[in-house]
Amino acid sequence: MAAYVSGEQAAFRELFQRYTPLLQRAMLRDLRSAEEANDLVQQTFLHLHRSRLDFEPGRKLKPWIFTIALNLKREYFRRTKRRQETSLDDDRAAEPFEGPRGQERSDAAREMTRALAALPVDHREVIELHWFGGLSFPEVAEAVGSTVAAVKVRAHRGYVALRARLGETVPDPEQAASAGPEVGEVP
Amino acid sequence: MDCAEIRDAFLRGETLPEDRVQAHLRVCPHCHELFEGHVALGQRLGSAATPELSLPDDFFAQLEQKVSAETGMRAWLRSRPTRVRVLLVSTVAVAAITIGGALHLRPDFAEYPSSRLALLLGVYLLAVLVAVQRELSVSSRPGAFATKPGVLAGTLLLPFLVAFVPPTEASMQHGPEGALICFSFGALLTLPLAALLWACDRDDRPSSSSVWLSAVALGLTANLLLELHCASGNAIHLLLGHASLSLAWLAVWAALRGLKARAH
Repeated sequence: MAAYVSGEQAAFRELFQRYTPLLQRAMLRDLRSAEEANDLVQQTFLHLHRSRLDFEPGRKLKPWIFTIALNLKREYFRRTKRRQETSLDDDRAAEPFEGPRGQERSDAAREMTRALAALPVDHREVIELHWFGGLSFPEVAEAVGSTVAAVKVRAHRGYVALRARLGETVPDPEQAASAGPEVGEVP
Repeated sequence: MDCAEIRDAFLRGETLPEDRVQAHLRVCPHCHELFEGHVALGQRLGSAATPELSLPDDFFAQLEQKVSAETGMRAWLRSRPTRVRVLLVSTVAVAAITIGGALHLRPDFAEYPSSRLALLLGVYLLAVLVAVQRELSVSSRPGAFATKPGVLAGTLLLPFLVAFVPPTEASMQHGPEGALICFSFGALLTLPLAALLWACDRDDRPSSSSVWLSAVALGLTANLLLELHCASGNAIHLLLGHASLSLAWLAVWAALRGLKARAH
């Protein structure tokens, strides 16, 4: 970004290549239309260009670019009078964006997408930025304009709600401690 | 190994070396809490990752075209750092108030209570400054206190409340006449501010909070300059000629938003 601010035009393409997949994924999760998502991604970069002189050297770009993207996405939902927060009863929530033809998703993925869609926006936003946007919690806090502690609380509440919706039982802490984590079983 | 590596491995569906994961979990309370007996949640989150799509071939070219079209005075203003744009707009607001008073200072100004003047100047100018700052800030967060429609609507109602508290004895002798002249004077003097606010806004499609914030900045500036300009304390005159400017600017900005939305 510093290179772009100092006038290197090639740096804009590099920024575009680095952040477009992340932004596109973040937009697609809610919009479910590639055209709408791509339009918002393009607007995000246009805003980035207009805001380039606001960028402070040494600051992380990723949270900043996501702040712009989130504001644009929120405004999109307000403008189209659609709710970003959907319920499990909402038919649209049951039909998340599927991606290109041939890329089928499992029932578990659909179930998780529906469970995520049913979370309050504040909780879902934090989980999605952390998981799918690749932002650390301090970066998420910066992107949503909150504190790290508040963001972690939101994430925790979101995980608890997800587990409840997905029918996972929350283990007894002592039992879990003696059993130990099962992370090595990641497929 | 850190949080991001674990998360990314889930998203890619990869197997992680257990000893390294365990080492991370021992030092990371967040991951420990997340994965403690709940590996399935991580796996399922990973499975729900939105697939990456290829972009249209001309996507970057279109973007470059839009960026290269950013020329002229408005593009230059929009690209100034936020603090510069806020300072510029605030200066023009103060200039409008000063010019309004300088062109014709209310005849009873010598009797005008200084405490009222200080309160109005303090409250209105602070509200204008906050509104301008929120409106032009790159990271203004919707839902923040300063952008809540309820707070903004309350701020817009301030001049209506002030209309029922005449400041001086002399001001109470005035009738409702001349309201249209005051309205036009206030609108005319805040017009350059409105144009500058519009020019400095980086959004092509004004947001709903932008409509409210702009109305607050313009409405309160107009009311403050009219408070220094006009000696009338008649409630009807003040409601129709002064306070209504807040609503007029709200209507103008809402109409602009509607037009922009239709154009897109």
